[in-house]
Amino acid sequence: MNRSIALVLAAATLVSTALGTAGCVTHETRPQARINAIQASQEIPQDQLLDVAVKLFDENVPTDEKKMEHERIFPEVRKAEARYFPMQIRNTLEGSGQWGQVRVVPADAAALDVQVSGKIIESTGQMLRIDVTVVDATGRLWFKREYQQNADTRSYKDQSGQPRDPFQNLYSTFANDLLAYRQQLQAADLENVRRVSELRFAKDLAPYAFDSYLTQDKKKATYQVVRLPADDDPLLVRMDRIRERDYALIDTVNEHYSLFAENMSEPYTNWRRYSYAELEAEDEAKRSALTRKLLGAAAIVGGLVVGSEANTYAGQAAATGAIFGGAYAIKSGFDKGAEVKMHSESLKQLGESFQAEVQPMVVEVEGRTLQLKGTAEEQYHEWRRLLKELYENETGLPVQTPAAAPQPAAPAAPNSGG
Amino acid sequence: MTTRERSAQIDRELDASLGVFDGRMRDEQATIAGQRGDRNGGGGGGGNGAGAEEQAAGGAAGGAGGANGKNGEGGASGQGGANGGRGGQSGQGQGQGEGQGNGRGTGGQQGGGGGVGGGAGGGSGPNTVPADIPDGSDDDIVARQLREAAQKETDPELRDKLWQEYRDYKKNTG
Repeated sequence: MNRSIALVLAAATLVSTALGTAGCVTHETRPQARINAIQASQEIPQDQLLDVAVKLFDENVPTDEKKMEHERIFPEVRKAEARYFPMQIRNTLEGSGQWGQVRVVPADAAALDVQVSGKIIESTGQMLRIDVTVVDATGRLWFKREYQQNADTRSYKDQSGQPRDPFQNLYSTFANDLLAYRQQLQAADLENVRRVSELRFAKDLAPYAFDSYLTQDKKKATYQVVRLPADDDPLLVRMDRIRERDYALIDTVNEHYSLFAENMSEPYTNWRRYSYAELEAEDEAKRSALTRKLLGAAAIVGGLVVGSEANTYAGQAAATGAIFGGAYAIKSGFDKGAEVKMHSESLKQLGESFQAEVQPMVVEVEGRTLQLKGTAEEQYHEWRRLLKELYENETGLPVQTPAAAPQPAAPAAPNSGG
Repeated sequence: MTTRERSAQIDRELDASLGVFDGRMRDEQATIAGQRGDRNGGGGGGGNGAGAEEQAAGGAAGGAGGANGKNGEGGASGQGGANGGRGGQSGQGQGQGEGQGNGRGTGGQQGGGGGVGGGAGGGSGPNTVPADIPDGSDDDIVARQLREAAQKETDPELRDKLWQEYRDYKKNTG
């Protein structure tokens, strides 16, 4: 009999534990140690200073709607994020002072010295996971890495106008990896990257004049300098003037993305903050529901065992109590399930609401950059023609252009040939 | 026409085309600066007066600048800025500064103050045609582009150069 009562007491304890603790478990979200991008401590020689193009990220939106819903991906939010994350990386790199111009460019833009591409794997208020690939103008792959970080919850608690991005550690880690790779390159490698980048630009604009300076290994997609044009080559001087305009175009496109990110920042931070809270509450409710159901079932089983063994009134009463208690725990587990659904619905509504808010911003920034692309392509077409005429006039050599060959697009404008 | 003369003519066409492009980029940059100014508290004229847009587009070059000194002078003149990449000296107003409109308050409030530079630029503005410039009714495409670029140009120095290009071109082709 003592054993029976002990069993019942244990079952009762389980039930009270299930009901009691499941409701107040808190997940400690310890602030993360802050990682900062390493700052330049000395001036980098001009001819080793690499420009960086951070391309718009791959949104990675599944085509399967069920999968999209299951993973809680809102396509317009992803589109916005594919523009927002590159800007955060750009700001981190630019702020480090380790690089030349760092610009966000369209995904199909031509290469600057170093180009960064990314793909969003997972992005919620809790977690950011991205795949990043870095190559330079010579075609050398620097690295391809997955980065992931749990949100730094201090950012969500910070109610000031501009809290630190909850995933800033991820951007800083990437910036430091990029720097580490560059630091292992020789000065000659860096100079070569710049040279190749310049010649690729020139080759794109006037292939008849600059083709022979570079070779391309099509298999490896790498470029090598064969010889260098004279510094006072008049065509190269004109090319430099055009490249200045190319930089101006890149800057302008980047400014559009920058303004977009600034406009998006506040509602996006709020959305991430609220969705973080909902996700945490949902996880908590899920855990609690499961715990209650399991412990409730255990209490019922315990009660039944004790009931069959008990031969006293007290034992039977305790067993009955355990069975009822277990049943109640299971019921409350199901009630918690309803709470999970409520959080889930709330997350959906939050996502839809933010999606509706950010969609016009995405449409506007894309419209503006497309318009710029159109303007630039017109101009580049004209510059190509003028350069060709100059070349023919000054060398007396007719330029053979394949009649059906498609006209390559502007070097820096979206879809540049590079 | 000699080879040299022909090259000079094509170069002028290129100059005109580059000038047009510069003007478009400046307009675009000024528009962005205006939008940023609106967002940051609606201050600042960002106006169309001579020099106003130029100043608006200048500002502190975007980004932190870092230790490389590549981010140009910025400042009120709108010259330099973040443009140029490698020692570029195009002198276009680039990189709308983060310094424009520092009016973000706390608690997510959009603060007042700030705004884009704006201000009263001085001097003769764009669209001011010098007295010795003909009416342009017989302009060919190159002359038209030069005229258009000069009329839109807000930098007085660059504008004078464009008008001089226009005069030279008209003299050579007239």
